[in-house]
Amino acid sequence: MSLSIYNARLIDPATNLDAPGALLIEKGKIKAVDPGRATPHEGARETLDARGFCLAPGLIDLRVKTGEPGDEQKETLETASRAALAGGVTSFVVMPDTQPVIDDVALVRFIDDRAKASAKARIYPAAALTAGLKGEAIAEIGLMAEAGAVLFTNGDWPVANANVMKRAMAYAASRNVTVMSRPDERAITGSGVMNAGALAARLGLSGLAREAEWIGVSRDLLLAEITGCRLIVDQISTTRTLDLVQQARVRGIDVHTTIAAHTLFFNENDIGNYLTYCKVNPPFRDEDNRRQLVSALKRGEIDVVVSAHDPQPPEEKRVPIAEAAFGAAGIETLLPALTTLHSQGTLSLIEALAPVTCRAAELLGLPQGRLKIGAPADLVLFNPAKPWLCEREYLHSRSTNSPFDGRTLDGRVHRTLVAGETVFEAVTASAGNKAGG
Amino acid sequence: MPDTAATYTFPKRDLLQIEGLHPFDIQSILDLAEQYATATRNGQRPDPVLAGKTVVNLFFENSTRTLSSFEIAARRLGADVVSMPVAQSSVKKGETLIDTAMTLNAMKPDALVIRHSASGGVALLSRKVDCCVINAGDGTHEHPTQGLLDALTIRRTKGRVEGLNVLICGDILHSRVARSTTQTLHLLGARVTLCGPRTLIPPGAENWGAEIVTTDFDAALPGKDVVMMLRLQLERMDGAFVPSRREYFRYFGLTTERLARAHPDAIVMHPGPMNRGIEIQSVIADGERSVITEQVEMGVAVREAVLHLLAGNRA
Repeated sequence: MSLSIYNARLIDPATNLDAPGALLIEKGKIKAVDPGRATPHEGARETLDARGFCLAPGLIDLRVKTGEPGDEQKETLETASRAALAGGVTSFVVMPDTQPVIDDVALVRFIDDRAKASAKARIYPAAALTAGLKGEAIAEIGLMAEAGAVLFTNGDWPVANANVMKRAMAYAASRNVTVMSRPDERAITGSGVMNAGALAARLGLSGLAREAEWIGVSRDLLLAEITGCRLIVDQISTTRTLDLVQQARVRGIDVHTTIAAHTLFFNENDIGNYLTYCKVNPPFRDEDNRRQLVSALKRGEIDVVVSAHDPQPPEEKRVPIAEAAFGAAGIETLLPALTTLHSQGTLSLIEALAPVTCRAAELLGLPQGRLKIGAPADLVLFNPAKPWLCEREYLHSRSTNSPFDGRTLDGRVHRTLVAGETVFEAVTASAGNKAGG
Repeated sequence: MPDTAATYTFPKRDLLQIEGLHPFDIQSILDLAEQYATATRNGQRPDPVLAGKTVVNLFFENSTRTLSSFEIAARRLGADVVSMPVAQSSVKKGETLIDTAMTLNAMKPDALVIRHSASGGVALLSRKVDCCVINAGDGTHEHPTQGLLDALTIRRTKGRVEGLNVLICGDILHSRVARSTTQTLHLLGARVTLCGPRTLIPPGAENWGAEIVTTDFDAALPGKDVVMMLRLQLERMDGAFVPSRREYFRYFGLTTERLARAHPDAIVMHPGPMNRGIEIQSVIADGERSVITEQVEMGVAVREAVLHLLAGNRA
């Protein structure tokens, strides 16, 4: 029950480690981390020569939607888990906007049970902040937290009523739990389709205005200050939002931010000729903004990168863009998106991986997400420079609505381990791109 | 009869938008349309260049004038025409747009004329069929044959488009006509001014080819050779985008006094249907400066030309 992985390039953002070395796994946990060591650990039952690969903590994705329960044709916990592991994601949080909504103890336990029975990745339920996500009554936050809910959120349906939000946050603060909220003033975004601006006007599409995010985040920051609630601002899409968050931090508010990986990668022009796979909310904005967001990530001003995985089947996407569902399948491309930013020279590997490993773990209080003795041996071996063509038909998700379809990405997962067990292994080079699980 | 068609080939399979067209393509379509217009005025019957071809009009949004115009154009050229009022058919039963397109495609039409309430809806359908597709209006995106017929109307009335000062006033935000017509006229060398209430002017309108974008109708009128009024949907006038009909008429209604500020020879246009007394005074709509019925006439000619170039020149 021991495995020594040697000749690896060890990457541990938690300790700023980026060095060749070896790592020993025993009984599902990390037993030794030895930078500089060029040989396998003596006495290890198995050894793995990882020459050419980086060995990093498995990724932790704070925002994943599946279709379970209720929309299993889109995605199940099991298919999402397969896609996650193929992308080096070993832990992820599932959103409560399912059918039924995850808003009581039995449903939190259902997610937990189904995940343990069907999925090899570690899956953590987020629970509804308000009953039925209706934004009217506070959900059973305390009981659901006891049942294992790690976050409380209204998902894609931000609480519109400021008074309900204030009470929910005050209550959440008293239970010492974290609230995650999408900053989005729906009275402004309305039926918007893409980034508001000249391109949207030219295409005849209604816009999702940036000020909807600013008004939304301003309200939530004020309420966090008033209530003392710990807040995660879910998927920021503009730099000005970061300015508002920064001002709040100066006042001592316990606030954290996430950004979707695709937001770091695409701009509004990628929507091109009404490409529905690029219809996401928050939308892709202009290129200057995108570059500034990457810089902000590099400076550590954005805490966590999420996949915002939102599987949608063809019938939700092969329609006129105004009628198409929002959302992009992204869990399998989370790591490749970040390694591609790395290979473009904008981020170091540590800068690229910290937001999906140790910083995500810290937010949830999880022991994984670092190469630390005693931590769970959730690990990913990947080649950070390997170019590959992302083709939707070879993705593992049940729905393959990926905006990365047809793009070349740099960085590919070689092997993924959860608790020391190999749960994904890329097929060898002869099978080329058509790698399976 | 028409000689333009003999020497010119339209470079695309479909006509989905004005954006991306070359001025030469627009001039060529207008040249052919002009020949059709002249022939019709002289009582000549055009050659049946679409004989044996099937043209399907697929209108997902109700329309009387555009549908009739395409029907008449196709029939004049000898096509077999089927008009499908899809708003009442299988789409209501839950069939997706793409299923409808693939079903129709299997019937092997030679041309599809499509109107859809969603921007990009026609482009989406065009990717799923094998025949040429003509956009008869998609959401608030484009209405290319309207842009062409406006240009033809101006060209025939004023003798040219280049160098003319054109004012387009009204609900720019929701208007596919404004998008197509502005681009067409700009490509032909006109100087276009867009005007409307601040809430109905989209960001970036100045990039459509308009020289000026303004909210001051009175200040914009002097020197204009063409004044085009756009329809304002009544439901947008009840406080949603502008406070009331009377306030709209006060600042953006075309009256005789206002029209006097424009060039003495200015013509008045409207893509229809008109809200008389709201964006335009009846006396102007029916007056001698109005070319509104010529626009309708040129509409048929332009659609004959487009159908001829897209469907008639294909083997």
